[in-house]
Amino acid sequence: MKAHLFRRFLASALVIWLVATATFFLISMAPGDLASKLADPRIAPSARERLREQFGLQDPWWERYLRWLSRAATGDFGYSLLFRRPVGAVLGEALPNTALLAGVGLALELVMGLAIGLIQAYRPHSGFDRLLSALTLTAYALPTFAVASGLLVLFAYTFPLFPPSHMASPEAAHLPYWARVGDTLRHLVLPALTIAITGCGAVARYLRGSLLDEQRRGYVLFALARGCSTRRALVVHALPNALLPLLTVIGLSLPFLVSGSLVIEVIFSWPGMGQVFYSAVTARDVPLIQACTVVITAAVVAGNWLADLAYNVADPRVRV
Amino acid sequence: MKVTRALRWSLPFWVFTVACKQPTPPAEVRAPGEPIHGGQVTVAISQDLTSFNEYTGFSESTELAILDLLFPTLLTEQPDYQQRPPSFAPNLAVSWGFSEDNRVLTFQLRPNASWSDGTPVTAEDVAFTFRVQKSPLLPWPGQEIKDFIQRVEVVSPTVVRFYFSRSYPYQLMDANDGHIVPSHRWGKIPLQAWAHTDFSQHLVTAGPFRVASHVPQQTLTLARDPAYWDRPKPFLDRVVFRVIPDPAQQVAQLLAGQVDVVLMVPPREATNVRGNPKLELVEVPSRVWGYIGWNNRRPPLSDRRVRRALTLAINRQAIVDTVYWGFARPARGPIPSTMWAANRNLPLLPYDPGQAAKLLDTAGVTDADGDGVREWEGRKLTIDLLYPAVNPMRAQAALMIQADLRKVGIHLQPTPMEFTAMMARQEAGNFDAVLSAWEEATKVDLTSLWMTPSSTTGSNNFIGYSNPEVDHLIVQAREESDLDKAKVFWDRAQELIVEDQPVTFLYEAVQLVGIAQRIKGADINPASVFFNLQEWYVLP
Repeated sequence: MKAHLFRRFLASALVIWLVATATFFLISMAPGDLASKLADPRIAPSARERLREQFGLQDPWWERYLRWLSRAATGDFGYSLLFRRPVGAVLGEALPNTALLAGVGLALELVMGLAIGLIQAYRPHSGFDRLLSALTLTAYALPTFAVASGLLVLFAYTFPLFPPSHMASPEAAHLPYWARVGDTLRHLVLPALTIAITGCGAVARYLRGSLLDEQRRGYVLFALARGCSTRRALVVHALPNALLPLLTVIGLSLPFLVSGSLVIEVIFSWPGMGQVFYSAVTARDVPLIQACTVVITAAVVAGNWLADLAYNVADPRVRV
Repeated sequence: MKVTRALRWSLPFWVFTVACKQPTPPAEVRAPGEPIHGGQVTVAISQDLTSFNEYTGFSESTELAILDLLFPTLLTEQPDYQQRPPSFAPNLAVSWGFSEDNRVLTFQLRPNASWSDGTPVTAEDVAFTFRVQKSPLLPWPGQEIKDFIQRVEVVSPTVVRFYFSRSYPYQLMDANDGHIVPSHRWGKIPLQAWAHTDFSQHLVTAGPFRVASHVPQQTLTLARDPAYWDRPKPFLDRVVFRVIPDPAQQVAQLLAGQVDVVLMVPPREATNVRGNPKLELVEVPSRVWGYIGWNNRRPPLSDRRVRRALTLAINRQAIVDTVYWGFARPARGPIPSTMWAANRNLPLLPYDPGQAAKLLDTAGVTDADGDGVREWEGRKLTIDLLYPAVNPMRAQAALMIQADLRKVGIHLQPTPMEFTAMMARQEAGNFDAVLSAWEEATKVDLTSLWMTPSSTTGSNNFIGYSNPEVDHLIVQAREESDLDKAKVFWDRAQELIVEDQPVTFLYEAVQLVGIAQRIKGADINPASVFFNLQEWYVLP
């Protein structure tokens, strides 16, 4: 078991290193650098070359790569040229914001998805099931910005129940602790609902499918034959087994907790990783791009790992 | 520089009148139209202030406008560049004057100016700021502005002298560029560490407002600084800057009353803002002009007849009306007509596809095989037009240009590109045509855009335009110490540039500012939306 874990750990480190290295080379090959953007009448054209020299943008790629690798190995991701702060500080602000929004959004998505899937599986092929199928498929197919704009028009502008943007009101800093929490929760509603609405369809479809499969199995039929109610057979007997495939879905959506969604973050002015990563890429801010890549890759690896682990715990058949 | 001189003479009187005026306490009963103390204004900005210290990198113009509220400059550039070279009004400096040979510029500073921690703002701060601006350790893109300033000398705590290596018209403007920063606090941080320092932790300001709170990437709240040493003192208690990256959301929140000011309303939203009784849409003349840059090094685009024909074939008025909803004007030449240095006699090239076709024929770009697409040296001519992919207005304009050129048998291929990649291709000269825009500086100088590119000084003339006569005129203008005389050379250079059509001058933009009607006293002008923020007040 220990040897297995060790091998797995080595493989994960290798994956992260490979992805970071590939990203480095792709970004180095992409045309333009941070100084390319500086075409501005207030800036002398010669300033571009001076800045390239100051930032070491003209050094050969292997020099830049080795410099990055030797620092990153010690956990120092350098300075963001765009945000003019250590990369750690930039990520330190954006990561918790994204984790909060994605965490609440995913939780809501799961709750909604599970509820809908259960209701559908309770009376499959009924009119209500078909209606819910159509609704979840529509929600799944809708582009995120359309859902976000719809929610904004309805609940922020026409009926101003929730704030349209940001994580807190401007005056939140002066509020007592619990009022601040309430303020943040109010700000969370619309962006989290957007995540939940666009995502719950998939969860519901998965769950409905696997519940219907389980319901045909012998142990459910046996429970029903014993006189167990349909509802009880569904929730107590079929559901635990039907949840297994969902573990993969949950594990795979874990990286979303650190990567965020650019569209949602831009529309709701939510200062998270999506925006940071996007502006880093467009500005060719290599230290920041690299750090984002490492964090997101690590999350993908960890998500897979956790999903496997959860399988191990939940399903004795796959135990090693 | 007549105005500056007049200002200088009137200064003692001005200072006296201001000094004698007692601050008026907030009135209990308000006469109609009288300003009210208190309240706050919320401004939408598309990105957060990257740093409170402009010398650690590149600050966008909105960032600089916010820093104007926190840090002093020696003088305040006035928004009068439409009539004349910009004049200056006192800010930290109350008066200034040149030596006989024009190489020494002396500033007399305000004796009562102080930083927010109570320390006086002195000539030492000015000299320190200059050392910072010139430091090779800092990536300040404006460093070259200070090239002709050799040193700055502290004569006394309130007198500071700038020594120039030569005399030229923009000495005052160059000396004034950049905000004065606190030497007693920031001087303690070694310059090597500046680029990596979080200056919000070392914040000492000296402006009408001070920082009340800053939540990065979300909200920057400024509060009136009761200790501000200049007049007028702000009426507003607070100014809140909310980071809203999406322009559509900025307008939506303006319409819903959640923000009071949107700095750039997209033209397609203008009617919504104008139609709202609680809002006002202010059209600010800007110095931005849009163009198609033709690669002057690539035949047949190297032939000015071809470039002229392409301009004649494009219906620029239609682009102004459709893409910019009429909130722009067709452009004539290299200096926007909103600026004093523009040549007012430049012709506006008409939309004339017939003449364009004839010109193309004479230039040898002909449709020999009769398939409707012209050839050049036996091969079908295709012009790739690059434009930034994220800009929907450019995309729309590119399609209209494509349709116009098709009518004269030119095949133009619009190619959206990621912005940085597009800039890199521009710099490398690897393109046929680019659809882009440029904002002219108030410091008029045709060198960087229109002078034959030199490998030693760098250039923004990436299209490779080269006309020895224009080069000569630009040099002559640069050597002139009187800008009115320089304008004679610039006028001629503008004529030549328009004849050559190195670029197709498409449109001159208008900046649309959306502002809530409850805000009174705002004089929104081309210098900055916040130019007289101190005089803004809000109705309850």
